Amino acid sequence: MTAILCPGRTILEVEGLTVGFETAAGLVKAAEDVCFSLRQGETLALVGETGCGKSVVASAIMKLLPRNASVRGHANFAGRDLLTLSEKEMAGIRGKDISIVFQNPSLSLNPIIRVVEQVAEPLQVHGCAQRRKSIETAEKMLERLELDSRESRMYPFQFSGGMNQRAMIATSMILTPKIIIADEPSHGLDSGLVDETMRVMMMIKEQIGSSLLLITHDLILAQRFSERMAVMYCGEIVENGKSEEIFAKPLHPYTRALLDCLPERGFHPIPGSSPSMINPPEGCKFRPRCQQARDRCMRKPQIVDGAAEDGDREVRCWLY
Amino acid sequence: MLAVLKAEDIGLVYESGLIFKRGHTVLRGINLELHEGRTLGLMGASGSGKSTLGRILAGQQRPTSGRVLFDGEDIWLMPRLERSAYKKQVQMVFQDPEGSLNPRKSIERSIHEVLGLLKVPALQWRSRTKEAFEMVGLSEDLLCRRPAQISGGQCQRVALARVLLLEPRVVILDEPTSALDISVQAQILNILRDLQTDLGLAYLLISHQPEVIGFMAHETIRLEGGEIV
Repeated sequence: MTAILCPGRTILEVEGLTVGFETAAGLVKAAEDVCFSLRQGETLALVGETGCGKSVVASAIMKLLPRNASVRGHANFAGRDLLTLSEKEMAGIRGKDISIVFQNPSLSLNPIIRVVEQVAEPLQVHGCAQRRKSIETAEKMLERLELDSRESRMYPFQFSGGMNQRAMIATSMILTPKIIIADEPSHGLDSGLVDETMRVMMMIKEQIGSSLLLITHDLILAQRFSERMAVMYCGEIVENGKSEEIFAKPLHPYTRALLDCLPERGFHPIPGSSPSMINPPEGCKFRPRCQQARDRCMRKPQIVDGAAEDGDREVRCWLY
Repeated sequence: MLAVLKAEDIGLVYESGLIFKRGHTVLRGINLELHEGRTLGLMGASGSGKSTLGRILAGQQRPTSGRVLFDGEDIWLMPRLERSAYKKQVQMVFQDPEGSLNPRKSIERSIHEVLGLLKVPALQWRSRTKEAFEMVGLSEDLLCRRPAQISGGQCQRVALARVLLLEPRVVILDEPTSALDISVQAQILNILRDLQTDLGLAYLLISHQPEVIGFMAHETIRLEGGEIV
């Protein structure tokens, strides 16, 4: 799959990323031939249902997958393929150049270390500041996220979910990384807190000029905060384009079906259920649930570039 | 129309302190009615008392004042046999579908546990399970799996199938779709609507999502600080 041609400079280019997990039940094909590009300063949303492989893509880019994972493909960042780097080289990139906000803030923070210490830790690990200076910088960052100095000296177990999420955001942004990967930042938060968390994250992202890879199953969140969107189904990107255009005119039958599930479009469910990732359907993986499936869908569809009138769309479907 | 389940001036106060008792009012003066084939939406912010009210209506918690009437009878004054029938006929579906099922038991055992409690002859277990699974659109292939081996949406449908085996008249749905993906949410809500049409169930739908309430509810009430506003 070729990545969409972007007017801005591409900062991360993922090509043919394929991830499998060897399990007792067989090989789980968690991601297959995933390709996308992330431009400088933009927000790209990777959307899809739970279990479709979005977080696996993020973990593969960060080289945080378990040992039973097999990874193929490329993730080109600053002239280097991240997937070929050693653990030591990746440790220099994680946090400093690319940081990740995990989906469960309360589990991602150490409950018995003060929040400000944890936010300051990346500065010390990467040798950017001594302890006292790093604590001061962390306090300033937490203040920008509306956590005062008294709160910053509290422990994560004394924080609400929203406060912990803000602490995670501060930790991921303190080294002003070039890329932030936010994995389900709205997970477990009330709707009011989601807005607040996203607003703060976008504000700091703008201030430090980072790019954001927003991984979410929340389509409305993706529509509101991303410029471009890649829709994943069963480990594959099936449609990729500008968010507003995908919402206005979805091309892939899965994207259409997914958008029809939205409350404002009448809660129309997708027939059937997501297929097994150990034995996925032959050909197009959406075929068993697709209303427009034909015989040709038994063969794997290729990516079609410029499928929409805007010319900035890629679709993996035989209809185009 | 006679209400199946009625709350009359329900109040709940938690007391704290060993010597100097202090009261914390959770619910105050709640009146509501649930009717056959109708859905009452219950909205409110976190901590407003929605789930507590749901538990009181399901007979899992006793209010400190007021009455819960099932077919006109106070549930806390019912004879034992009638109360047992009430408990079968008023069921709850919870937010966390995986937490609703025992992780160590197969789906089949979780289902059969209910049939055993209902004293259904073992010969009928298979057909009753099949019937309940068909109602919620599940395949029998899932029976041998454990909750962790199926998706969140499938877990919620299993929980729903288990509730249906009890042939309830009232189902209290406590945020039944808020932990689910949008596609699964649509699936569950449509199943719930179809079941209401087919079986004439009365629902109390607790949700913080106005869209979900708008799709399902015939009437809506909002709780704020333990009171209907």
